[in-house]
Order: sequence, then C-alpha cells, then structure tokens
Amino acid sequence: MARGLELLLSAILLAGLYATMAYGLGLIFGVLRIVNLNHGGTIMAGAYLGWWFHEHAKIDPYLSLPMVAAFSFGVGVIIYRGLVRHLPRGAAGGAQSLLLLFGVWLVLRNAAYFWFTGNEQVIRTEYSTTAVVILGSALSVNRLIVFAIAALLLVGLHLLLTRTYFGKAVRAVAQNADSCTLAGVHVEGIYTLTFGIGSALAGIAGLLLGTLFTFNPSFGGAELLKSFVIVVLGGLGSVPGTAIAALILAMVEVFAILVLPAYLTGAVGFVLLVLVLIFRPGGLFGHRVLG
Amino acid sequence: MRKRRCGGVPLVMAAFLLAATGCKQSTPEKSQASAAAVPEKILIGATLPLTGSEARIGGFYKEGYDLAFEEANKPGGVLVGGKRIPVALQLLDDTSTQATAVSLADRLINVDKVSFLLGTYSTALVQAQAGVPEQNRVPYVNGGGAATEIFRQGYKYNFGLLAPVELLADAIMRWIDVQQKAGKLPKPAVIAVLWENTSHGKDFRKGVSQFAAAHPGDYKIAVDESFELNAKDFSALLNAVKAAKADMVLADAHLPDYITMQRQYVTAGMCNKVLSYGARGSEKQAADGLGQKNVNYVLSAVWWNYQLGSKGLNKHFVEAFRAKYNRQPEWYQALGYETARVLFVAIEQANSVDREAVRAKLAAMDIESILPGGRLTFPADKGQQAHYPFVVQQNMPDGSSPIVYPADVANSPGVAPNPDCKG
Repeated sequence: MARGLELLLSAILLAGLYATMAYGLGLIFGVLRIVNLNHGGTIMAGAYLGWWFHEHAKIDPYLSLPMVAAFSFGVGVIIYRGLVRHLPRGAAGGAQSLLLLFGVWLVLRNAAYFWFTGNEQVIRTEYSTTAVVILGSALSVNRLIVFAIAALLLVGLHLLLTRTYFGKAVRAVAQNADSCTLAGVHVEGIYTLTFGIGSALAGIAGLLLGTLFTFNPSFGGAELLKSFVIVVLGGLGSVPGTAIAALILAMVEVFAILVLPAYLTGAVGFVLLVLVLIFRPGGLFGHRVLG
Repeated sequence: MRKRRCGGVPLVMAAFLLAATGCKQSTPEKSQASAAAVPEKILIGATLPLTGSEARIGGFYKEGYDLAFEEANKPGGVLVGGKRIPVALQLLDDTSTQATAVSLADRLINVDKVSFLLGTYSTALVQAQAGVPEQNRVPYVNGGGAATEIFRQGYKYNFGLLAPVELLADAIMRWIDVQQKAGKLPKPAVIAVLWENTSHGKDFRKGVSQFAAAHPGDYKIAVDESFELNAKDFSALLNAVKAAKADMVLADAHLPDYITMQRQYVTAGMCNKVLSYGARGSEKQAADGLGQKNVNYVLSAVWWNYQLGSKGLNKHFVEAFRAKYNRQPEWYQALGYETARVLFVAIEQANSVDREAVRAKLAAMDIESILPGGRLTFPADKGQQAHYPFVVQQNMPDGSSPIVYPADVANSPGVAPNPDCKG
C-alpha cells in the first residue's frame, strides 16, 4: 500500500514535468499545424540559458524563468518571421517545415557544442537534493516546484486561450485562418505570437528539466518524442487535454514497473500512442489528428 | 590501385555484388604487398567522436593518441628495417554516430590507404566499426570498446585493450568480499543490481551474478532490474530497492544516469552500506552537480588510475602527460596512449609494415604495460580482448578517490559500511 502511494505521488510529479514539456509543442501544432522539430533544440537552449544565468550571473534558476521565457520567445519570433512564414501553408508545407525546423535544431545543437563542448552540465542549487515528507514519502523540492509551475502554466494558458481576445483569435485561427482574415484578424500576427509563446514554453521546460537532469547539446531529442506522444494522446488544441494526457502517460509508465521490466516502461507510452491513433485518432480530448 | 571491375550491372546492384562476391578481396592482398616495403612514413588511421554526444571523451582519447605519436616521432619514428620511420596519424571525426564511424573506416583504408587502424571510443561505435578492418584485413587496435560481444565475432584483426565489464563487476565484488570476510558487511548480503540496458550493462550484471553464484550463502540478489539510457525517473526502481531492504546497490550507468539516479537516491533519503555505479563515481562533474557529501563513499572501478603512476612505464606516462597538458590524465587518455603505443611496439617487433606480420605480433604480444597488472596480452580464447584486473576506487569526504583494490596497488583500505548511513 505504501509502495503504491509512493508510486502514485511519483507519477503525479512526473506528469507535471511531462505537461510542461508538451505545452509548447501542442500550442504550435494546434494553431499552425506544424510539428516544431526545433522544440527539442529550444528545450536544450532553455536548459543552457538557465545554467548560464545560474553559473555566471548567480541567479536562482526559478528566478531566471522570466528571462529564459523572454529570450526563447524572441528566438521563436525570429525563427517564425525569418524562416517558417515563408513556407507554404497547410499540408503542402508539412514536409518543408519538418526539414526546415530539423535544420534549425541541428544548427542550435552544433552551436551549443561549439560554445559549451559536449560536457554534461547540471544546475545545482542549495535545494537540489532537499526533500519534504508528504504522506510518508520523501518528495524532491525541485520536483514539487516543477509541478507547481506546470499547474500555473496550465491555468494561465487556459485563461489566456478562453478569456482574452487574443486567445479567442488564436482559437479562431486554429479553426479557420481564411475566415479570420475576412473578419479582420491579423492572422500572421497570431501565428508569430503563437510560435513565440510555444518557443517560450519550450524554453521554460528546458530550464525546469535542467534543474532535475544533466544535459548536453544533444539534450532535447527524447523530450521532443515524449512531448509528441502527449500532444497526440491529449488531442490538438486542448490544453487541459495535454495535462491529462501527461498524467495518463506518467501513471502508465510508473505503474508499469509492477508488471514489466524497468527498461520497457519507457516504451509503454509509444504503445499507448499507437492504440490511441488506431482507436481514437483525434486524441482523447481533441479533434482528429489525421485525415 | 585499380580494383577489378564488375561491369554490366546497375550501379546499386554492382555495389551489392562487390561486397557479396568479394570484388574487394583483391585490395588487401595488393596493399599488403606494397606495404611490406619500408615506406617513407607510416600512415595510421583512426576515427574518434570529436563532436556529438561522446565528444568530450573522444577529445580525451585524442590527447592520448597525440602524446603517443609525439613520443614515437621524437627519436625519428618507429624502428623498422634498421631505420627510424616517422608515424603519422590520419584522424577523422566520426561524430559519435555508428554509420559515420563505419564509412570513415572504409575511407581511411581504401581511399587514404592507411597501413593500420586505431579504434574509436564507445562500445557502440567500436562494435559497428570493427567489421570494416576485418573485411579489409587491416590490424585494428582499439581501446574504446569493452563489451565482450565485440570480441565474440571471431575477428582476427581486432585487438581490444579494454578489459571486459564483467571483470569490472568482479573487481568490485572482490573488494566487497574482503569487507564481508572482515565482518564489516552482513552475511548473506542483499544486493540490488541495476544495469543500463546495453551490452555494457549486461556484462556488468553477469559479473555480479557470477560472483554471487560462486559464493552461495554469502550474497543474495534481491533486485535485478535494467533501465533505459537517459531515463527521466528512477523513483519506481529505487522504490523496489527500498522494498527489498538491500544492503548494497550495485548499478552500472553512464554519467548522466549516474547523476540523475544519485540525485533521486539522495532526495529519497536512501543510504546503503555499499553503493557503486560501475565505472562512474569519481567524476568531478558528479561532485560538482550533486555536492561532495552526496557522492561520498561511492565505489567505482576503472581500467586505469593515475595513482598507478609511481614507477616504470606508468610514471613515464603520467609525467609526460602532465608536462604536455598540465593536468592529471584519466583512464581515457591512458587507454588512448597505450592503444597507439601497442601498435608501434607490434610494428617494431614485426620489423615490417606488412599487415599480416604486424597482426601476428599483436596476436602473440606479451609486453610490459601501463595497465593494471603490468602485462598486456590479447588472449586468443578471449577473442583477442585484453584481460587484467580493474582498479577499484572509493570517493572520500576530502574529495580524493584512493585506490582500494587490488591490494598490491591500493593506497587505502576503503570504507565499509557507509558511515553516513544512520542505524
């Protein structure tokens, strides 16, 4: 029973981490219909930015969140305005956007190798190994903070998309960009801001991951893959769906150890992805992804 | 050098047939004949992961290679046919990817016409690359692949300097056994074996399991679990260790997983009488990332340690390395250095650059070495993989990692059980 409770708490905290990773990818995917392969690169850049602020400016990683978010937002806007917007819209631009953003990721990765070398880096704070005991289980303070930030982002994003004019415009553009143009919505502006916000969320995720794990310039690949699973599982255009999908994935992965060897638990998510694509292609809480 | 043409078939089919029908077989024979004459210089090829995920360690191996080539060329080169022939290294970056490592090895042999090959770093890359020199009959000396799987292929031209990971686990178990016999550890001791799901991890698990099986009643393996590389959450695994009330946690992990797992281990308030992460443990990055107190008393076993350098070849190597790079060498540089040096010795023993003659000398080699045990051989019954004792070291609160095993080179008896564990 005690072990079950510990696993449950671990799964909930892991879900916070997964949700943070997936929000940015889901937003861009939902609105621009683009799989941002540079999501992994931005996660890596966010981790390095947080590390740089901590090592060189002695700023606590959680206090540097706004700066990392602003920087990632700026980079996202530049990438969109400079590169992505020149691609054809819709299915015609799908392959090009994949190649283009993969290329951007490779450039970012090699720039990081050039500047930071391939050494593993880690953000260590006074509280990196501090735990609090909840219901008899020792829980990492870092993981609790990451979970809290994931919850705040969930509420903030949901309110932004449902309670503001900008959010309504984003949802309208996601549904029918041509009609929005006729209605006077500045579609390119919405795309630019959405890409910027998605990148900012990826940067934040990178910083949060950097407080928990080591990273090097190749960091971000596995995170991109996991984010993709969550976004498809949750369904497009659904922020709460993304959060719930992250929770489901974390639960399945953590509790799978009771019946599977530990090295197979990571594959459980991909099995889940295949099942969802077969039986509910629109995701658990969203619209159809394919077709 | 012209290759026999296989005309009349489409290009793709021709490439396939070239491999299948042995069109390439003429190449090594011809190169042997030409290589047998004493050349102006001896060109030796190598690839290393100078960029990509293994870039840091690839750079370390390069330092070892560079030092060995510099030393060999200082008197004018290696002694062949009564005169000194300079050795030159043709080094290419395999970008930490298997496909590149394979294609560059092919290029080095068939385009750059190198006489011999030195290996790359990491089991995965060596495993992929070793087939190319074998097909081309080029002696391939590598110090970067440890998995026994590489040496079970029946290759004749592949010589490995890294002793198998099974022996790494065995060395740790031998030190533990000494502590148990001294009454410092319980009998039977409950072991949790956690291993990365790679050939490296499997060899580690095999080493622990074999030792435990050979000592019935002394050890009980209660947890035997593998994990994926770069895992995000070890809490479920650590929960299993806690539930089993293990006395010792013996894990095999790469640096990122070591740091992530140890961080979660410490945060969960766990403390076991003995804790090891295989070859990882004493890295400065881990102490920096986790804090010294959180890595105290972690055991690790490595292929070489600079503390061996108080006499003979080791003393010479450590001093030469310090003079060139102004810091202590790690086992990576030592293995790089020794790998190149061994090839030079074989060329001198063969008194020729003939590939077959050099291969024969490598196969029969028994020389003084900087590696633990002091002698280096490539036993045929072990697939030409060197076998020697590992050096076990233990992190101490002052930041040092003295050698605790084998006893003849140990400069500390080591500490067991972990005094930081309460109760």
